[in-house]
Amino acid sequence: MATSVLLACGLNEQKLPGFIHISEESNVDGSFLISCVLGQRLRISNAGTLLVCLQHHYQHYFNAGMRLGYNTNIFQGKTLGVIDVLSDMAGEGLASKWLTNTEGQTLTEQLVEDIRAQVESNYANRNSYTVLIDNLSILFNLGASKLQVQQFCQDLAALAKERENLTVITKLSNSDIYQLTDNNVAKLGQVRIQVLRLKSGVFREVDGKLLIERVLDEGNYACEETRKEVLYKVNDRNVKVFAPGEIGVKV
Amino acid sequence: MTSFRKRTVQKPIRGTRTSPHTAQVITSSGNPYLDVVIGGGLPMGSICLIEEDRFMTHAKVLAKYFLAEGVISKQEIFLGSLDDIPAEMLRRLPRPLTDQESMEQSEVQALGDGGAENGLRIAWRYNDLPLVNSEHATAKIGHHFNLMEQMDSMMLYNVKTTLWDDSPKHLDIVIDEEFSKSSSPTTPLLEQQPVEDAPPIPGAEIAPQEKIPAQEEENSANNNNNNNNSSSVTSSTKTGSQESQLQVFHNPRYKGLLNDIQQLLRNESFVAGTKNNLCRVCLTSLGSPLWYDEHFGEDLIKFLTLLMASVRSCNSVCLITMPMHLIAKYDASLVPKIRQLVDYAIELESFAGSERETHPAFKEYSGLLHLHKMSAINTLAVHMPETPDLAFKLRRKKFIIEKFHLPPELQESSAKPDNCISGLLSNSNATASLDF
Repeated sequence: MATSVLLACGLNEQKLPGFIHISEESNVDGSFLISCVLGQRLRISNAGTLLVCLQHHYQHYFNAGMRLGYNTNIFQGKTLGVIDVLSDMAGEGLASKWLTNTEGQTLTEQLVEDIRAQVESNYANRNSYTVLIDNLSILFNLGASKLQVQQFCQDLAALAKERENLTVITKLSNSDIYQLTDNNVAKLGQVRIQVLRLKSGVFREVDGKLLIERVLDEGNYACEETRKEVLYKVNDRNVKVFAPGEIGVKV
Repeated sequence: MTSFRKRTVQKPIRGTRTSPHTAQVITSSGNPYLDVVIGGGLPMGSICLIEEDRFMTHAKVLAKYFLAEGVISKQEIFLGSLDDIPAEMLRRLPRPLTDQESMEQSEVQALGDGGAENGLRIAWRYNDLPLVNSEHATAKIGHHFNLMEQMDSMMLYNVKTTLWDDSPKHLDIVIDEEFSKSSSPTTPLLEQQPVEDAPPIPGAEIAPQEKIPAQEEENSANNNNNNNNSSSVTSSTKTGSQESQLQVFHNPRYKGLLNDIQQLLRNESFVAGTKNNLCRVCLTSLGSPLWYDEHFGEDLIKFLTLLMASVRSCNSVCLITMPMHLIAKYDASLVPKIRQLVDYAIELESFAGSERETHPAFKEYSGLLHLHKMSAINTLAVHMPETPDLAFKLRRKKFIIEKFHLPPELQESSAKPDNCISGLLSNSNATASLDF
């Protein structure tokens, strides 16, 4: 159900690149990508996943996952760990640790610490481990500066380099507004997926466009990139991808 | 031993139903036409943003529909505003139509459609075809209201309502008929300053005037002990945490408003997954110039983020109206940031004061309705309306949203509708080639 979009993005493999960044343009919703990747990682045997919920709370991913054919509740506490920042803030109000500088730590520092703790406690038992962060722009909304968010992403990229088979996937919405941060974070990784809206208007058959950029050769002179563009349509229980020009006006 | 298990069907929350398309619990926005546009109703935990028109008249009508629906469905209501007097707004809610009136209205509409049968002399073959009704008001949930008449104030007796307007003397009014019976100390009792030229709200708790200073001291002292679910500002006794909480917002109004909302939403009636009750949060003219200060953008975005967190985590829906045209002038980058934090962003573009007001192509309509955002909450795919070209009409008795369509013939050939209509029907970045 999500196989086609993962195949198009090159995310259907068991071993993923160390750092992947998803850029979402304004007024377009790329949450389906997180749900698709989450389902794929959960289905891999003995693969750990950590979901950091900043944009939606855990219940949303559960419901979206049920539409795609997987049940996150089965995996939660076993191969799936969740840091639900949104629910924490709702439950604790203004006293939430995410809003107060507990022990002199900023929001991003606390988040990195929590992620590290989860990785260290679960990584050893897993063949691979994936950290999904949805969505970096919420950190800006909660008062983090560009420098703090950049440092946060660099810490995660460093964590991915320290450990083999650890993948970090970040998503940033309103990437056209946070262009500098978006470009800097994308440079940390090997794969960048841009979720773009159709510039010429609204179309019933297509929701938007995915632009996938991948660094081919890693090394001292890694500069070759491939670019691929596909169109996508999010349906009730699956996501379809099309090549540009495949959808036309039907007479 | 039989394997038969009796299926226990839980009663749905008043005023809600399960959407057959997304299996989500949805509730009416109050306006049946808007419900059709957004896929049947507002999903639980969603925030709907109405971007106000220039003169703010039409957005307030939708807010009144939202509140009136909550009153009729006996859902709990939170109403906050700096620009309006919440108590006054509650008193002027539209009256719901009775079943008989609704039937008569639909009969009148059907007769009006049928009357066209005798009007076709040339294209008489079209008589047998069903008429295209642009007004899709299939109200499976929700009610119809008459904007000409006000709701009976006695209806407010059955509804728990919390009002917020940041008034120093008039902080909160809790209208709760069963307050004395309730064992939950979630709603603190505060004094009320009577509104000028308005009868007292039925059921409101009013403290005697001479006790106001003592009452204030008592309430401020009791806030820390009274409310188990109160926000951490009132319940925390640690000075350090209080200081850090004060730093969350630069403008204390946001903190006060958020505290009150979170305090209400933490009530056990609204726990997510239970079928107790639904809370409707309505904030009108949020982000208006009365909210401006040095850190306006920062505080507003943070407030909306925390509001989103609170609304999503419980049985509630939220409707916010904002003067986006003013916010865009303040800082254009705030507009997409705000839209990203809500689930539905609907802009009302009124024709009042513009050249379209007198244009023959738009004479039937009061303005255009732009759907800037509809997001999938608790599901994968979002419901898309039949067409994004929508217009609204504010009639005497109702607010109608329908497909925008041009009249069959423009009388004045000298008037060039191309400039208006081409700008309307095409996107601003339209190019010659289609982007798919």
